[in-house]
Amino acid sequence: EALPFRLQLKIRRSEMQVNSPSPVPERAIYGFVLFLAAQLGFFLYLLWAVVPDVWLHWVGLTYWPQKYWALAGPVYLLVCLVVCFVLLFGVNMINTAPLASLHNISDAFSRSQRVDEDHAAVIPRLRDLSISEINQKFYLTQTHS
Amino acid sequence: MAEEEFTDINGNSISLECHTHSSFCKEFTVTSPKLSLRRVMVITCCVWLFAYAVFFFTANTAVLSSAIILTLVGMMVHIHFVKVDHETLLVIGSLGVQLSSSYASGRESTTFIEMSKLKDIVINEAIYMQSIIYYLCILIKDPVDSEKVSSVVPLFQSSKPRLNCLVEVYRSCQEILTESR
Repeated sequence: EALPFRLQLKIRRSEMQVNSPSPVPERAIYGFVLFLAAQLGFFLYLLWAVVPDVWLHWVGLTYWPQKYWALAGPVYLLVCLVVCFVLLFGVNMINTAPLASLHNISDAFSRSQRVDEDHAAVIPRLRDLSISEINQKFYLTQTHS
Repeated sequence: MAEEEFTDINGNSISLECHTHSSFCKEFTVTSPKLSLRRVMVITCCVWLFAYAVFFFTANTAVLSSAIILTLVGMMVHIHFVKVDHETLLVIGSLGVQLSSSYASGRESTTFIEMSKLKDIVINEAIYMQSIIYYLCILIKDPVDSEKVSSVVPLFQSSKPRLNCLVEVYRSCQEILTESR
């Protein structure tokens, strides 16, 4: 049974609202909490990097990484970021099919597609055309150049 | 026998020669630009200057002799294995297709594909490095199912002509292939 039109619209709109990227009060709160946590984390990191070990031991905090990592950590992260950019480019190039590969001509979906009989008054099913057919249309007829 | 000037995908000029032996036999030769003497000299000078700079700081004569040997061997390997002088496509209706690449040192490498294995010769577009190029390729039939394509053999790989050259070759090939089917 078809639902009344206004109810259908409300259901569709509420389904659509879940995925929209619009600014919403909850998102503003999450963002501000994240901002505060990041500022606090940075302040604590600075504190650990600057305060001498003796003072930390005197308070009772003895098991922290060496001060060397206060400089080495950020450097490692930045180098990692640069390597990631290069690696991403490289991974893309590796995944590109070479010119001799069959993937440039067809793939699993085009090989297993159904071909319906030709009825005169019916719009044919959406399907991949064979490359020989396309070449003949483009390059053998004189209308395209 | 017609010879025309075209360009390849990088802008260098190449030439296409179409030789019609008979109504069912045609030969297409794409000639790449020759090895440029200026480029060879520039590369050799750079390598030797760099080797001399290393020798100046390390005072090790093995650097100089290894640079000389490296340049010589590199040039020989490049001429014999890498630098292609011309590529030929010979289509003989109802017999097959022969592809041959001739390198700058005179070496020739030839492949023959029977007409019964050949499904079609088409122009396809594919991603190559950072751009999309047109290339001519031979579709090989699957021995089991003759409607399926089992593999693809790209043609004119070293000279990579642009679409205008490929369309000419494609049209001439299709004249022969439609008759021989």
